[in-house]
Amino acid sequence: MIYEEPSDLAEKAAVMREFGRRRAAGEPVSEELYAKHVNATNDRYATGPERGQRIPDFTLPDQNGVARSLGDLTAPNGLLLVFHRSADW
Amino acid sequence: MLEKNGVGIAAVSYDSQDILKSFADRYGIGYPLLSDPDSAVIRRFGILNTNIAAGLRAHGVPHPVDYLVASDGTVIRKYFVENYQHRVTASAVVLQEFGSAGGEVEAVVLRSGALSVEIGLSGSKAFAGQELGFFARFKLEPGWHVYGTPLPGAYTAASITFDDPKIIRQSLVLPEARPMEMAALGETLPVYGGSFEGVGSLLLKFPIDAGLTVLKGQLRFQPCSETVCEPPQAVPFELPLTIQPFMLPPARKPTP
Repeated sequence: MIYEEPSDLAEKAAVMREFGRRRAAGEPVSEELYAKHVNATNDRYATGPERGQRIPDFTLPDQNGVARSLGDLTAPNGLLLVFHRSADW
Repeated sequence: MLEKNGVGIAAVSYDSQDILKSFADRYGIGYPLLSDPDSAVIRRFGILNTNIAAGLRAHGVPHPVDYLVASDGTVIRKYFVENYQHRVTASAVVLQEFGSAGGEVEAVVLRSGALSVEIGLSGSKAFAGQELGFFARFKLEPGWHVYGTPLPGAYTAASITFDDPKIIRQSLVLPEARPMEMAALGETLPVYGGSFEGVGSLLLKFPIDAGLTVLKGQLRFQPCSETVCEPPQAVPFELPLTIQPFMLPPARKPTP
């Protein structure tokens, strides 16, 4: 896959800096700035399956090497699946 | 919190199983940390972080998103959060999706004339930068109502606002108000009567000193009966909240 650098990285960075400054200063964040910040962080809200859609099937090893998939991770009311960056840095 | 409400939890990253094992051991994490070393599942979800160029160490990480899915895999809600470290609190997920506040929640009950309102946070603890939930349970005596929105400027709608620099963003969702014809005024205005409940969210500042603190807010409303409208009222309140200290990573075990 050829990586295409988003053309709006500088703009995103500026939005994220302004959000960070307000968050640290305890200044209110407008709905517009909040939406722009989440959008910049996530490269559009539109990424990933939407509400009402099924998530893709998957099977991945857990920290103990046990293969896990949706069927055995979910409880009666569902599953909270958290995507995070590295646990190493 | 989630388990008690019948919701499983698992986390996905591009780390190797060894890194996840070491992380889980150091922090005492019991829930599954799933290893997706070539980011294949992250790509299949369509949430690869495309802000990060190929070749950088961080390339391959997903966007910071939490998916709440039903047991058949249907998305109930996705929480695109504002960065990797600060996720929505489990208590806010439970309150917003299942309508129950978790654990030992200290609610305040405000009483003023015909109205009483119970206000409480979704949980009593959070980290700085996290999103918390809150609920507001309104109860009016028979024959009385308060205004909803949208409302002409001369009246005061029922609202709860937190006037606290620890909160940088807030929202409260109330049920739809019922239109009521005010014969004497010749107007139709949105009102609430009886019992109704709102659920809201609060985004906390970062950083905040760890320890016990309070969140300050105000309830505003204008109580009216069939015959009389009282002046608008503002009732201040405080809710206790413990800001949790950030966990410093325990020392890594020396490799033999």
